[in-house]
Amino acid sequence: MARAGGITNAVNVGIAVQADWENREFISHISLNVRRLFDFLVQFEATTKSKLASLNEKLDVLERKLELLEVQVGTASANPSLFARDA
Amino acid sequence: MAVPVEEAIAALSTFSLEDEQAEIQGPGIWVSTDSGATDSPVEYSDVSAYRLSLSEDTKALNQLNALIQEGKEMGSVLYTYRSCVKALPQLPDSMKQSQADLYLETYQVLDLEMSRLREIQRWQASAAAKLAADMQRFSRPERRINGPTVTHLWSMLKLLDTLVQLDHLKNAKASIPNDFSWYKRTFTQVSVQWHDTDSMREELDDLQIFLSTRWAILLNLHVEMFRVNNVEDILQVLIVFAVESLELDFALLFPERHILLRVLPILVVLATSSEKDSESLYKRVKINRLINIFKNDPVIPAFPDLHLSPAAIMKELSIYFQKFSTQTRLLSLPSPHELPSREAQDYQRHYLIINHIGSIRAEHDDFAIRFSSSMNQLLLLKSTDSADIDWCKEVKGNIYDMVVEGFQLLSRWTARIWEQCAWKFSRPCKDIVPSESQEASASFSDYEKVVRYNYSAEERKALVELVSYIKSIGSMMQCSDTLVADALWETIHAEVQDFVQNTLATMLRTTFRKKKDLSRILSDMRTLSADWMANTSKSESGSLQQGGEESKANFFYPRPVAPTAAQVHCLQFLIYELVSGGNLRKPGGLFGNSGSEIPVNDLKQLETFFYKLSFFLHILDYSVTVATLTDLGFLWFREFYLESSRVIQFPIECSLPWMLVDYVLESHNAGILESVLMPFDIYNDSAQQALVSLKQRFLYDEIEAEVDHCFDIFVSKLCDSIFTYYKSWAASELLDTSFLFALDNGEKYSVEPMRFTALLKMTRVKLLGRMIDLRSLIAERMNKVFRDNIEFLFDRFESQDLCAIVELENLLDILKHAHGLLSRDLSIDSFSLMLNEMQENISLVSYCSRLASQIWSEMQNDFLPNFILCNTTQRFIRSSKVPLVPIQKPSVPYAKPNFYCGTQDLNAAHQSFARLHSGFFGMPHIFSIVRLLGSRSLPWLIRALLDHISNKIATLEPMITGLQEALPKSIGLLPFDGGVTGCMRLVKEQLNWGTKSQLKAEVLRGIKEIGSVLYWLGLLDIVLRETDTTHFMQTAPWLGLLPGADGQILHSQDGGESPIVNLFKSATSVIVSNPGCPNPTSFHTLSKQAEAADLLYKANMNTGSVLEYALAFTSAALDKYCSKWSAVPKTGFIDITTSKDFYRIYSGLQIWYLEDSVRVPPSSHEVLGDSVAWGGCTIIYLLGQQLHFELLDFSYQVLNVAEVEIASITQTHKSPHFFQGWDGLLEVMKKARRLNNHVFSMLKARCPLEDKTACAIKQSGAPLHRIKFENTVSAFETLPQKEA
Repeated sequence: MARAGGITNAVNVGIAVQADWENREFISHISLNVRRLFDFLVQFEATTKSKLASLNEKLDVLERKLELLEVQVGTASANPSLFARDA
Repeated sequence: MAVPVEEAIAALSTFSLEDEQAEIQGPGIWVSTDSGATDSPVEYSDVSAYRLSLSEDTKALNQLNALIQEGKEMGSVLYTYRSCVKALPQLPDSMKQSQADLYLETYQVLDLEMSRLREIQRWQASAAAKLAADMQRFSRPERRINGPTVTHLWSMLKLLDTLVQLDHLKNAKASIPNDFSWYKRTFTQVSVQWHDTDSMREELDDLQIFLSTRWAILLNLHVEMFRVNNVEDILQVLIVFAVESLELDFALLFPERHILLRVLPILVVLATSSEKDSESLYKRVKINRLINIFKNDPVIPAFPDLHLSPAAIMKELSIYFQKFSTQTRLLSLPSPHELPSREAQDYQRHYLIINHIGSIRAEHDDFAIRFSSSMNQLLLLKSTDSADIDWCKEVKGNIYDMVVEGFQLLSRWTARIWEQCAWKFSRPCKDIVPSESQEASASFSDYEKVVRYNYSAEERKALVELVSYIKSIGSMMQCSDTLVADALWETIHAEVQDFVQNTLATMLRTTFRKKKDLSRILSDMRTLSADWMANTSKSESGSLQQGGEESKANFFYPRPVAPTAAQVHCLQFLIYELVSGGNLRKPGGLFGNSGSEIPVNDLKQLETFFYKLSFFLHILDYSVTVATLTDLGFLWFREFYLESSRVIQFPIECSLPWMLVDYVLESHNAGILESVLMPFDIYNDSAQQALVSLKQRFLYDEIEAEVDHCFDIFVSKLCDSIFTYYKSWAASELLDTSFLFALDNGEKYSVEPMRFTALLKMTRVKLLGRMIDLRSLIAERMNKVFRDNIEFLFDRFESQDLCAIVELENLLDILKHAHGLLSRDLSIDSFSLMLNEMQENISLVSYCSRLASQIWSEMQNDFLPNFILCNTTQRFIRSSKVPLVPIQKPSVPYAKPNFYCGTQDLNAAHQSFARLHSGFFGMPHIFSIVRLLGSRSLPWLIRALLDHISNKIATLEPMITGLQEALPKSIGLLPFDGGVTGCMRLVKEQLNWGTKSQLKAEVLRGIKEIGSVLYWLGLLDIVLRETDTTHFMQTAPWLGLLPGADGQILHSQDGGESPIVNLFKSATSVIVSNPGCPNPTSFHTLSKQAEAADLLYKANMNTGSVLEYALAFTSAALDKYCSKWSAVPKTGFIDITTSKDFYRIYSGLQIWYLEDSVRVPPSSHEVLGDSVAWGGCTIIYLLGQQLHFELLDFSYQVLNVAEVEIASITQTHKSPHFFQGWDGLLEVMKKARRLNNHVFSMLKARCPLEDKTACAIKQSGAPLHRIKFENTVSAFETLPQKEA
């Protein structure tokens, strides 16, 4: 065989190739959309994380404020006499 | 389709996934990490379906690919090999008897390592044999089998490359023979007891030869190849293929390019070393082409810290290959270290990124814009329902072009970094300028020479910039992966179909009509890839595309499906077959062939399509390609240098990624600041490499440890520069702008703007698979650093005297302003909260803040005893004499400039302002105290001062009694006849307190302190009045207060509401009446709050005087001693001679100290100042003895006598200089009288004795106006207790 090539059963191969194109269209459609779904999930996670982070930040600030208020209330309730006079 | 997948996915995009965070990091997440289409995922098993009789070729191809995979693993074992010998323990003398056990243990440990080397030895032998066999099989001239295909050629090249790399690595790693000799020694020790060790020994000798021979793998390969003499053809084909690919440089991404560059010199050596004459090679490839390629790239990266040089390799190999040593032209190429300096300069220019960064920047900007705009087009297209087909095709084609361009850009840029690294490794820094003097003596490791000191600041900057370009373009492309995927598939599909259906059809009709065998190849190409039905399937499904032009033969509908790897493989094979005619010996190149039967035009088309095909694979492999092209992990690895430097690990200062981070932080360059996270992606990449490709846990651990360490330092350094920046920004804003404008060098006080906003928004920093909330870390640290700073300012104040209060206020103002500026971008604790916390002022029942108690203790211990008053300037100054009470103070704490005002210049500016106020204590200081303490702690301080007065009076009482007792029974009026001299003598005789001078001084000091406190409160009164007035002016219009005719305050509407309440009420009613009002209750709340504000502000209207209050308090405190200090005369008349009242005592003290102040050089006035008069006169006044004092005071009497005397003398003698010796005294006495009169008149105004009224001060600090109260100390209990 001096030359390469020469598909032995060209017609059958042609039909198979055609069918292959169509099957693969379906497969790539599905796989692409699965990947899109995955992408969405990744992005969703990222967004959620940053929203949670900002929530956490607000909670942190509130927590510290609350702590302060608690201390203040604590000092006040430990010395009721000081406040009774005004009442 | 049954499930509306498309719609379901499209629905997802309606979710809002907006994010605050800027994209300032590289892509961190891969959707898939396994390779896709570049290598066939099914190992080309589908090739057989195309019936091209390629099964042999496919089998060989897969075998080679498996070998490449194994070889890479061997390479990583070898690259990451670390010497074990260094870790082996030595036995102490006491345990020599167990030496044999140690040998056995050592042997077992080393045996494990050596077995790996043995495996490598075995593997390379089998790989070489298989490669040689493969080459021989596929280069038989008779060609019983199809092949080799192009993919197969690539696999050969890659395997060859793997072998070369392995060999190079084996040569470079010195620890391996070292370990081996230990192993051998222990083996001889251990094996004494074993039988039958001959085979093992033989094996050992074999391994020793393998390890100690340079280029052993290559030599072995050479032997294997030339066992049968027909591989020259295929070697030549490989050379031609490599040279043409390199010269065209279109479809090559940098990893492939580097493979070709590494393999080419070896191929040349192998091809010319055969028995046949080597000239046939140069018939196919001109030697100049080879030399050009070698010259263009004198250094080629091989491993992260190991490079190859073609010239050096060829020189070294010429020793082993006799034939090759005749190739003088190739051997005369200079190796990189022997380059003449001018050529080296040229290469330097080529290799250093710094020389290209300008054009790279332009490329980046241009590409980023065009890529996003074509992405926008694509999104627009997707949202359009029925799009025009042509437009559709254009947009998608555009995306395809952009992706190709993007890959090429990324490949070029990353290759630049690789090549710069290799160049730097080949040229270590020769003249190190040690930046730190302490390192001057230390010797530098090789790694420091090639990395740490080999990158100048500019080069680091360029590198950071390029890294961030690569990473940002990479992440941009990575993000759009799934968006562009179908567009890319469609375009590739269209390209392929266009070629096979149109171009090939034309060719078949014209050129190849007569050539049967050639046209068969063409029609095979059509058969295996044409998609004839794409048209019908689409129009039948009746989807988006409308309008059929079936009549047009060359039109086909797009189908978003790409060809498989096998299809591309077969197509490439067929094209190659077509042009080469299946003959390896065919002279000339692949395509640039004139002797071919194919016309140039068609050849050109075939060539273009051929190279396009190989690029398709990269595009189909989108995410993997992006990951490969943006992988910069190699910048971290330094296994080779670790070994040669004989250290376990280098310090992070030598680590290139950290050097880059550090550079960004230190340079304070606003332009690259936002890229500061990019170098951390290098760590991400290298960790990925360590785990996935090198598969070494210990490397990952080392990287992780370094990253942890670096990130900590990074955060702390970043926070430091953020803090410094905001601080200096605040400090420069607080400088007087008009003054700065007038200044010549005003610019140095302005701060260059920096943008930390993007960094401050980073809530998800991706680091080794972890997510780090950088923002919260920064906020945490900022909270801490602000507190530390406040603490430091108080510490500093505590180590200085009271005059530093102005500086303290200034510094706190700067801090507060900085806090305000920073809180715009970052949520941190409110400043007042932090200040209260650091002042220990949180408790609701405590009024003494840290600052107030410090001010008080400072006044008590330093200010009152050591400062003297100057009545004229209204200032207290430190007495010039040695302090009477020595004070212990902590030394001034040290802090970085950013704890003051930020930068040195700004510190100097603010300090020169503060210095103006550091020498005295006066109004500005009181202002500062009022502002700093506020209405909360000020009453506490006032109370403490008043208590101090009453305590002083109590301590004075026994002393004064002592003085009273020492007075003579009676003291008459001073007689006029003795003149001044006589008077003074008489006074001295009568006031014989001589023995009690200590007591006298003590009493005077006490009176001085009382006076100082009272004067201080007087100043405070003035300041409070001013603040209150400002406050009143601001609130009065809102509260509806009007000035009345008689100076009284009138309320505008009698019984009505104040303007503020009215305003909010009417506004609320209007808004609420509007039916569209969304939230009426909030407006009601608003109006209620206005009422509350009205009440609060009205309650604070009545202001009183602190001074009057203090005088009343003093008067009350004195009441207790009234009987002793102010006896009611028994006769009912004024008691002149026998009185021992306070005024008499003070009179005596006054004349004594006045006389003293004239006589003794360090005059007592400098010790006591004017406040003695304030103290004495106030007590006298409050005891109701003012008239007595003015009448009977000794010095006043002396002055009277002197006046008469002057009058009489001027009448008779007309000599002005009569009072020799008494001049000074009289002058001082006059001054004292003036001062006393001033004090008395002030007292009369502020505290009329007629009605003992005063004001009280409420807990809130607001004085109650003119309240009648019983004059006892207990009446003043409204002020907070000092102990509270």
